This record gives sequence, C-alpha cells and structure tokens, in this order.
Amino acid sequence: MKQELSDLALITMILEGNTAAYAQLVKRHQRFVFTLAMRFAKSREDAEEISQDCFVKAYRALGTFKQDAKFTTWLYTITYTTAMTFLRKRRLDITSIDDEGAAIQLENHISDYNANAIEKTSGHAYLNLAIGMLIPDDAAIITLFYKGEQSLEEIGQALNMESNTIKVKLHRARARLKEKLQYLLKDEVKELI
Amino acid sequence: MKSIDEQIWDYIDNTCSQEEKLIVAAKIASDETYSTVYAELLQIHQLLDTEQLDEPSMSFTRNVMDLVELEIAPVSLKTKVDKRIIYAITAVFVLLLIYIVCYAAAHGTYAVADFKLPKMQISFDISQYITPLFMKIFLFVDVVLGLIYLDGFLRRKSLR
Repeated sequence: MKQELSDLALITMILEGNTAAYAQLVKRHQRFVFTLAMRFAKSREDAEEISQDCFVKAYRALGTFKQDAKFTTWLYTITYTTAMTFLRKRRLDITSIDDEGAAIQLENHISDYNANAIEKTSGHAYLNLAIGMLIPDDAAIITLFYKGEQSLEEIGQALNMESNTIKVKLHRARARLKEKLQYLLKDEVKELI
Repeated sequence: MKSIDEQIWDYIDNTCSQEEKLIVAAKIASDETYSTVYAELLQIHQLLDTEQLDEPSMSFTRNVMDLVELEIAPVSLKTKVDKRIIYAITAVFVLLLIYIVCYAAAHGTYAVADFKLPKMQISFDISQYITPLFMKIFLFVDVVLGLIYLDGFLRRKSLR
C-alpha cells in the first residue's frame, strides 16, 4: 500500500524543486479551504476564487514557512486574510440596498426549506443555513474548531488572537448559531437539534 | 460567573478542569435545566461534528496548478545546518579546553611571584597601510557586499 507523505515531507519536496508535489497538498486541503472561503463569500464562484488565490499565495510564500508549526494553521491564516481582503473589497462595491436584498433572499431560503419536506428532515441542511446567517468571523471560528482539527491555541495563531479570546468568541458564535437554528426550525427545534 | 451554556460547552469540549467536569456531570444528572440544555447542546455539537465539508469544482486542483506554473518555484530561505556538525565543533572546543586545563594543572607551578607587566612601546602608524591598492580592495569588497544584500532584498520582495 502506498504510504501517504506528510505535509512537511511534501513541502520539502517542493522546495527541492519537485513543484508537481504541490498538487497533492492542494488536493489534501482544498475541501477545508473551500469550506472556509464559503463562510465568507456565500457563492461558490467567489469561494473558488478566494481558495485559488489562497493556494497561489501559499505557494509563493512556501519558502518562508517555518516548519516548526502545523502547515494547516499557516494555510488557514492565509485563507482567513485572503477572505477578509475579499470581504473588504466587496463591502466597497455593495450598497445598503443589497443588504435588504440579502434579507429577502434569506426569507426565500426559509420558505424554500419549509416547502421542501425532504430538506426539513435534514439537520445538516438547517445547520448550513444557520451558519450562513452568522457573521463571517463566527462562522469561520466554528468551522476551524470543528472541521479544521485546530486547537483553540492554533485557531488563535491563525486569526492572530489570544486563545482565551477565541474561546469566548466560540461560545458566542455557538450561542448565536443556536438562536438561528431555533429561529429556522421554530417548533421543530426540539425534534431536530 | 459562567452561564449554564458556557459550563456545558466547556464540559462537551473537554476544556474545563477535572473538578469542574465532575460538578457539571453531577448537575446534568440531577438538575433538569442542566440536562435539557446538555441534550440540546450535545445535538448541536454532534451536528457540527458530522457536517460534511464543501467540495470545490472538479477542475479546482488543475486550475491552481495552472496558476502555480506561472509562478517562480519557491526556495527555502532557511539554510539547513546539520546538528551533528554543530555538536562535533562543540566537542572539539570542549576537549581542547579540557586538555589545556589538564596540561596547565600537570606542568604549571603555582607560586605567585612578584609580577609586573612588561612595558610595551607601541607605535602604530595607520597611514602607511592606507595605500591606493588597499583602498581599491576595500571598495571592491564593499561593492560585492552591497550586491549580495541587494540580491537578498529583491529575492524576499519577489517572494512576497
């Protein structure tokens, strides 16, 4: 059976000139980076653009990566800053009218879900919708904690915050998530969550 | 003071002390409010834990590699030094010091004699060393060092 190389072994190969090995690193982490980007961008096209940009930036800076830390923590820092830059750029383009549009879109999402009996039974569909209603920072912290296999200290490192701040933010984010789920599921909350 | 939610999240995440863990476990077992909140939060936790990651398009890796091919190949900015070399050099110096101390201890005499530092006549005229040739070598070395620094600076800039 072919043994899978570690992230650090792949990075060493890339730095020694085997640049094709970067494809393995991309394949390994693309799903998480894309999911994290989705927490900021909301559309698949924008999330793909952010993720691609993030992997290109990581490639350019690979020589500066200190190999005493986890590659994922470093990669998520790049993803977070790239996504935040994307949001800032977006904010300049979007007017307040679009915010109203987003609220209407959200209502439509809810009614779509109410109309769909199959989706109604899916806790994950509601969960994704509820995460989508959170502010990007909250959604990112929840995603990093549950899907990024990152400790509070590592999340703090990635987001440039203290681990205690991350802990408080995680508590608040989950409290807000619970509220959103209760709002979405109303009476069904007790059955589904 | 932590709220019930916070206490239970800490219990679920296993980020509280053993003592706190026992207290919360006891409250969950005896207090209905705690057990209800625990059941709710545990289900949210399980939902979050089992949530699937989003999948980018099939061509994602290929698109990234196409972009990456246009970039300059990354090189390590850190020169790797074999630790064994450092240990070997240290060992040589330590052995040398031990040898000198042992030699001095074996052959030295410890009588403290009347000791005076010899007077030295030092006359050092620097102007005799500053010749046109010296100045040329000095400037040449400066230019080389400047070019090395500029090369390093531009390399770092291009990697950013």
